[in-house]
Amino acid sequence: MDSLHIGSYTFSSRLILGTGKFSSSSVMLEAVKASGTQLVTVALRRFNREQPGDDLFTPLTSIPGITLMPNTSGASTAAEAVQAARIARELSGSPFIKVEIHPNPQHLMPDPIETYEASKILAKEGFLVMPYIPADPVLAKRLEEAGCVSVMPLGSAIGSGQGLATAEMLKIIIRESTIPVIVDAGLRSPSEAALAMEMGCDAVLVNSAVAVAGNPPVMAEAFAEAVAAGRKAFAAGIMEKSGIAVATSPLTSFLGTEA
Amino acid sequence: MNPLPEWLSAGHDETRFRAMLSPDSPYTLEQLAGESKAITLRRFGRTMSLYAPLYLSNHCSSGCAYCGFASDRKTPRRRLEQEEIRKELGAMKRLGISDVLLLTGERTKAANFDYLRTSVATAAADMQRVTVEAFPMSVSEYRELAEAGCTGITIYQETYDPLRYAELHRWGPKKDFRERLETPSRALEGGIKTVGLGVLLGLADPQEDALMLYRHLRYLGKTYWRAGLSVSFPRIRPQTGSYEPPFPVSDHLLARMIFAFRIALPDVELVLSTRESPAFRDGMAGIGVTRMSIASRTTVGGYHDAESSDRGQFDVFDDRTVEAFCNALRDKNIEPVFKNWEHAYNGPSHMEAEK
Repeated sequence: MDSLHIGSYTFSSRLILGTGKFSSSSVMLEAVKASGTQLVTVALRRFNREQPGDDLFTPLTSIPGITLMPNTSGASTAAEAVQAARIARELSGSPFIKVEIHPNPQHLMPDPIETYEASKILAKEGFLVMPYIPADPVLAKRLEEAGCVSVMPLGSAIGSGQGLATAEMLKIIIRESTIPVIVDAGLRSPSEAALAMEMGCDAVLVNSAVAVAGNPPVMAEAFAEAVAAGRKAFAAGIMEKSGIAVATSPLTSFLGTEA
Repeated sequence: MNPLPEWLSAGHDETRFRAMLSPDSPYTLEQLAGESKAITLRRFGRTMSLYAPLYLSNHCSSGCAYCGFASDRKTPRRRLEQEEIRKELGAMKRLGISDVLLLTGERTKAANFDYLRTSVATAAADMQRVTVEAFPMSVSEYRELAEAGCTGITIYQETYDPLRYAELHRWGPKKDFRERLETPSRALEGGIKTVGLGVLLGLADPQEDALMLYRHLRYLGKTYWRAGLSVSFPRIRPQTGSYEPPFPVSDHLLARMIFAFRIALPDVELVLSTRESPAFRDGMAGIGVTRMSIASRTTVGGYHDAESSDRGQFDVFDDRTVEAFCNALRDKNIEPVFKNWEHAYNGPSHMEAEK
C-alpha cells in the first residue's frame, strides 16, 4: 500500500487538517471525520482546560484513528515555540510538534531563522518536528539535517487561497528532500491539492479552505478525494507534456540517418 | 510650525481608502460589505475573539472634555487593591473570560506606574492574556510592563486634528499631542507585542481622522514589522458629564469605516466594544470585526459588585450576558473564542530580547 511514513508513524491518508477558523467545534469534528484524515493539527493556544466549551483539543481525542499534532501558532520567537512545544507535549502526550513561528501577526509568514533554531532544539529533545517554512530549498535541507521528520513549505500565505504560488521552489524541495514534503497553507480548492500531489508532495495540510467553505464536511471529503487522486496519478507516472516544436528543416540532418 | 510628523502629513497608495470613505464614494455600502466579508472570512475564519475590560482605577489628572473620568468630574474616585483585583478576575473567569484589558486614567499618585505593573503581574498570574489601556509610558517602563506579562497596549489618539486635540484636552499630561502620537512607537520599542489604535468618533471630522489613523497604522507596520496591530472604533456614548459630540457618526458611516479598514488592511484586528448596540454588533460580526468585548463593566469593581449604581466611563449599550451574546454569535455561524493565546507567548517581543 502507498502509505505516508513520518518518523515511525504510518498514515494511509495524505490529507492533514487544521482545526482553526471553523464556525463551531462540532462542525470541525464533522469535517475531520468526513475527510478520513489521520493527522490533525491544533494550536496550543486553542487548548482550554478550564472551559470545555472553548477547548479544541479534548473533543478531537474522541475520534478514533486520529493522531494529534499540536502547533505553536502564536509564538514569535524560538524560545517561545520551544516552551510551547514542551507544554503541548505535556498536555497532549503527542510526540509530534508543528513548529509555527510567525513574528509578524499581519501576514503570518514563517520566520526561517527562529524556526530553524527551535526545530534544532526540539528534534534533539526527541520531538517529531514538522516545521512550517517558506518555500526555501536550502532551508528545507538544513531542517532535514537538524533532524526534522518532515518539512512543511507554504504554497502561498496562510488563509490567502492563492494556491501554489511557490510551485517552482516546491519542485526543487520535493526533488531534493529525503523526508516527506507537505504543502501547508494557501490552498483554496481540491484541484490545487491534487496538483500539489501530482507534483510529488507527500501530503497537504488544509484548514481555511475547508473551515470557511459553505459546507465544511463535504469540502473536507472533496479534498480527501482530490489528494488521493493526485497521489495515485503521481504514483502511476504522469505523461510528459508534448508541444516541443519539431523544426521543418531538421536541425540534425547534417548527421545523416541514425544507424 | 507643522506639528505633524512627515509620515502623518502625506501618504502613498491611499486613493482607494479615501474613495471608500468619501461622501460621494463610487462604492456602495453593500459592495464594500461584500468585499470586507470575503476578506474577513479568508483571514480570520468563522471566529470571534473575545475579551473584557477591567477598570483598575478612575483617578485621573487630565481634563479631557468628553470623558466621564476627567479630573473635574464629581465622580467618586477609587482604585482596586491587589486583593480586589484578584476578586474581580475571579468573577471574570467564572464568566469564561481569559483575555483581559486593564484600564486606568492618566498617571496619578493613586494609580502610578508601580501600581500598574503590580496589577499586570497579578492579572497575568490568572489570565491567559493581559493588555493595558492606561497612560503613556517611557520605553523602559513598557519593557518592565512586558516583562510583567503585558502583551499589548491600547492607546487612542482620540483625534489626529492638532487644533481640536488642543481644545479638547484642557489640562494635564494628555495635552501634549506629539507625546501621545509617539506612544505606540515607544511601546513597541519596549517589547510590547501588539498596539491598538483608534480615534474617538464624534470629536472631529471622521473621514480626516480615519485617514490619519490609516497612515499611523501603515507607519507602525513598516517601522516595527513584528508589531501586531488592531483598530477600535469607539463612538461617543452618553456618560458622566454628558458631552455632546460635535461630529456625530451615523451607523452607516461607522460601518463604512470598518469595511474600509478591513479592505485596506486585511490582516489587522478590528475591535468593537459594548458601547455599540446589540443589533450593530451582531450585524458587524463576520463581515469585518474580529474582536469584541463582552459582559463589560465600566465601573471600578463592577464584576464582583455587579449591583453597584455608579456610572462608568461610558454607558454600556450591549449589556447582554456572556451566554446570550455567544448564542447570538453562534446563530450567525460564528464561534466565540475565549482563549486564543498562550502564557508561553507572554515575554517581551524579540526586538527587545535581542538587545
